[in-house]
Amino acid sequence: MSNAMTLPQHPAKEQAAPKQRGYWGSVLYRLRYDPVTVFFGCVVLAIILAAIFAPVLAPFDPYKESIIGRLKPMGWKGHLLGTDELGRDLLSRLLYGGQVSLLMGVVPVAIATVIGGTLGVIGGFGGRRVNTAIMRTMDVFYAFPSVLLAVAISGAMGGGAANGMIALSMVFTPAMCRVAETATAQVKNLDFVEAARATGAGTLTILRYHILGNVLGPVFIYASSLVSVGILLASGLSFLGLGVKPPTADWGLMLSTLRQSIYINPAICALPGVAILIASVSFNLLSDGIRSAMDVRL
Amino acid sequence: MINLFLRRLMYAVPIAFGVSVVCFSLVYLAPGDPLQTILPSDASADTIAMVKAAYGFDKPLPIQFLKWLGRVMVGDFGQSIATRRPVVLEVTGALYNTSVLALFAVPIAFSTGFSMGAIAGCFPGKWIDRVLTGSAVLGVSLPNYWFGIVLVIFFAVEAMVLPATGMGANGSDQFNFLRWSDARYLVLPVITLSMVPIGIIARTTRAAVAEVMNQDFVITLRAKGLSETAVIRHVLKNALPQVLAVMGLQFGYLMGGSILVETVFTWPGSGFLLSKAIINRDVPVLQGTILMLALIFVATNLLVDLMQSWIDPRIRRT
Amino acid sequence: MPLSQVSTFLTAAFLAAGVAASAQAASVLTVGMTAGDIPVTTGNPDQGFEGFRFVGYNLYDALALWDLSSFDKPSDIKPGLATSWEIDPNNKRRWIFHLRQGVKFHDGCAFTADDVVWNMARVTDSKAPQYFTQQMALSRAYTTNFESIEKIDDYTVAINTKVVESIFPYSMSYILMISRCKAEALKYDWNAYANDPSGTGPYRFSRMVPHERLELLPNKDYWDPKRVPKQDKLVLLPMPEAATRAAALMTGQVNFIEAPSPDTIPRLKAAGMQIITNTYPHNWPFILNFVKGPMTDVRVRRAANYALNRAEFVELLNGLAIESYATMPPTSPWYGHPVRYEYNVEKAKALLKEAGCLPCKLTLAISTSGSGQMQPLPMNELLKSQLEAAGFQIDFKVMDWNSLIEIARSGVPKYPDIDGYNGSRALLDPMSALIKPVWKFHWSPAGANWGHFEDPEAEDLVAKILNEFDAGKRTQLLIKLNELHADRALMIFVVHDVNPRALSPKLKGFVQAQNWFQDLTPIEVMP
Repeated sequence: MSNAMTLPQHPAKEQAAPKQRGYWGSVLYRLRYDPVTVFFGCVVLAIILAAIFAPVLAPFDPYKESIIGRLKPMGWKGHLLGTDELGRDLLSRLLYGGQVSLLMGVVPVAIATVIGGTLGVIGGFGGRRVNTAIMRTMDVFYAFPSVLLAVAISGAMGGGAANGMIALSMVFTPAMCRVAETATAQVKNLDFVEAARATGAGTLTILRYHILGNVLGPVFIYASSLVSVGILLASGLSFLGLGVKPPTADWGLMLSTLRQSIYINPAICALPGVAILIASVSFNLLSDGIRSAMDVRL
Repeated sequence: MINLFLRRLMYAVPIAFGVSVVCFSLVYLAPGDPLQTILPSDASADTIAMVKAAYGFDKPLPIQFLKWLGRVMVGDFGQSIATRRPVVLEVTGALYNTSVLALFAVPIAFSTGFSMGAIAGCFPGKWIDRVLTGSAVLGVSLPNYWFGIVLVIFFAVEAMVLPATGMGANGSDQFNFLRWSDARYLVLPVITLSMVPIGIIARTTRAAVAEVMNQDFVITLRAKGLSETAVIRHVLKNALPQVLAVMGLQFGYLMGGSILVETVFTWPGSGFLLSKAIINRDVPVLQGTILMLALIFVATNLLVDLMQSWIDPRIRRT
Repeated sequence: MPLSQVSTFLTAAFLAAGVAASAQAASVLTVGMTAGDIPVTTGNPDQGFEGFRFVGYNLYDALALWDLSSFDKPSDIKPGLATSWEIDPNNKRRWIFHLRQGVKFHDGCAFTADDVVWNMARVTDSKAPQYFTQQMALSRAYTTNFESIEKIDDYTVAINTKVVESIFPYSMSYILMISRCKAEALKYDWNAYANDPSGTGPYRFSRMVPHERLELLPNKDYWDPKRVPKQDKLVLLPMPEAATRAAALMTGQVNFIEAPSPDTIPRLKAAGMQIITNTYPHNWPFILNFVKGPMTDVRVRRAANYALNRAEFVELLNGLAIESYATMPPTSPWYGHPVRYEYNVEKAKALLKEAGCLPCKLTLAISTSGSGQMQPLPMNELLKSQLEAAGFQIDFKVMDWNSLIEIARSGVPKYPDIDGYNGSRALLDPMSALIKPVWKFHWSPAGANWGHFEDPEAEDLVAKILNEFDAGKRTQLLIKLNELHADRALMIFVVHDVNPRALSPKLKGFVQAQNWFQDLTPIEVMP
């Protein structure tokens, strides 16, 4: 990766001539010259594709257990990454596990983006009372450390994948709402919105053309940075037994059950964590790259 | 300053009230019976009803809330269902144990993260910047519960040189970090806990330093002929308030968010107490722990806020 | 990267500081329990039988105690705080208990008949000042047939039961006697009592760190001199995770662990640890629904039992289990000659066909963990694959231990669509082992007959047992009842646990009895 590291973000600096390319054009242009982001974008794509095509890619049935083939080392009888505590192929389970783990990380972010984003725009654009009502409610949820809130909600609801996703959505919504509210409030007072209002444009029109256009960027960037957190937290919930229930393949849950076997095959027990780490690092760096390419400050 | 303090406090009080409502209602999302665990598995219906009445779980919810809030105001969080100990004792003991971890992890995270970020920020674009920034991303993205297990595999399972779990050889009440026989229990959890804050602080520092470096006064300083070390000293001084604020927040996170790491190391702190309360459906402990942790978090935020405006008067005006 | 090289390096690096400091003080027995928390010390413990094992029977005694001195004989109750007991020849509902003289509580007060009367009120009489809800709940299962108690003289009491029950003394082995002096001195403040409990048991309380550790010291004046503990100190640590217990044993944090997972045993053996197993009255079955669904047909139940290849379960558990074909394990005096459902897929399929249930859909509730549940997930996945090979279709409802307990407690009236649940069973006394699961009197939710089993022959046998005061004849009847369990395929019998424990090589003198309870007093800790 050393050659990827040597290229600084100079293209971003010399974007003095965006007139031919337009905004998105220049974003793409900058991204093209940021190999780190491109590389991790490819990793993210690979992870997503691997999860989607797990049924095709997986060399074995991820739920087929074997009593004699338990906790075998990497490469044993065609099991590339070995087998887990029930003799199930670890590679297949990691591939299938990606489906649940990614879903549990991404879905709450998407829900939070829609709900939080909407509330934020309403709060930012609406009057003082609306703003206070929405933002103070959000502040209450903001007053909990994220891990604590996630554990508390899903723990109280009795665990399970759906409850875990609800909990994470509730964790992300206030933060998302704040980002959207700040962006909206900033845009609202800008000249061109004032001008639009002066020309008699309706609230809805202003919302649609001017505000949303300028709010979506920061919201999108912030959402992309949450995906990594979402994956970490979702796996953490499963690790605590508050997320996906066995025998479903999920990275956090696999880590939790394999933990009991660290005496027999420590290398294999560490693998699900490696998957979580790779996914989380890749999403993080991709989000960083897009952020600097889009030149958004949060 | 006092004015500001009062204003911020006035803002924190309704939040604290909201937090208490959330804490109370959270618990009633729970399916099943909160008394399940203290009853034997073949307890009959009449036994259950008798116990329920004795614990006050037969009253309507709003009444339970008002009663609970009234007691909470005077510092009475009720009694643990599982152990019958006052929840206040349970939570304060656990908070103390968590703070031991946090008080070691925060300085380590700060010194390491700040150095990493400062070095990276001073050499933007150089290989050292790339390496340090890359490591910081790794830290931020690290599933620390997994990292803790990896450390346990190396140091407890394979090498057998450090204990895998627990707090001290004689229990947390006799824990003395000046004694190596106790302090060795700190090593793995503290390292594990520091990783994420190191990443966050390094990233914040780097961004702050890089920003200050681009400011006019740095050019002026250089033009005045100041040595590079003197310039850097100025830069760091200017970046510090922002980093300190982030560190304060990290302390708040460490107090409330170390549940996963405490579970891995069976550290008898607040997170461990919480996960135990969830498993046992110990309603009063669950409520009390979450409430206390959230209030601490609110208080930390308030403190950070005030300290920041004290260090950097520009913020006060906004 | 070879871990061994890394570890060699690390060992060298940390040797001086680490290993030296981890050495245990000379004569401390430190136990890693499977319990999630320290069992309560106020009398009858929580945390199931593990609570009785490590806290209850160490701090306290009951009128009858379990004989835990033999490795090879199934253990039975023996005199405890009562030296003998008999049924009143004129009243089959009146038991006379003769109390042991000269017994003193740890606080110095003498144990007399008044203490027994006081303790019974503590768990049954809601008007008594010493009544304690938690203790009532924890004793309730053993006081259902208790009606009243009267003091005859200082060392004799009479207990009246509600119905005739020839095996009533077993119940009295679960009611622990706490110190009245201490409770009165502390003005019935049970929190204070929990931190300063007083009993007559072989250990006395030293110190407790909530959720972390309980430290007990030998009671040098214990009334049974043979059972004065041979260690200086007993420390109990809750460690619910098997990997944590194993790591703690390997790093010297503890020297005695409960239930090491089968997978860790080779590693523990290689490190020189003693692995001790023994048969004990436990089974790991599926308890079935006799009201609704396919399990109401005895042919389907038998088919499920024929479908299981139990040898594979034993293999899955690295040999740490015994194949189960009946409620009681083969070493039990109540075993007899039950039908054996040897593995036979063809027979299972034929039975299902005959019953008109092919494929035969079952909804089974299982837990992810729990006391006595062994390795529920891997074992149930194996069970599923074997049952499905014989024509069943299994839908598992996977839940945490508390949710399963809720199902177990509520019974079929509340969960009519669950065809069975996987709950491990303690088979210590005849009542809970053999009678409750078939007796109509114990239909759920009031009792422990979860699936509402009903059979005239079983009712008849139970009545005979409860009225039979001759131990020899009663054993014959209990054997018949165990055989009836098997014949009716009352449960899906899978395996019996063998209660593995791992001990540091420095421990000597532990005898693992065929019981859920164990005696720690003879253990010596070598330097």
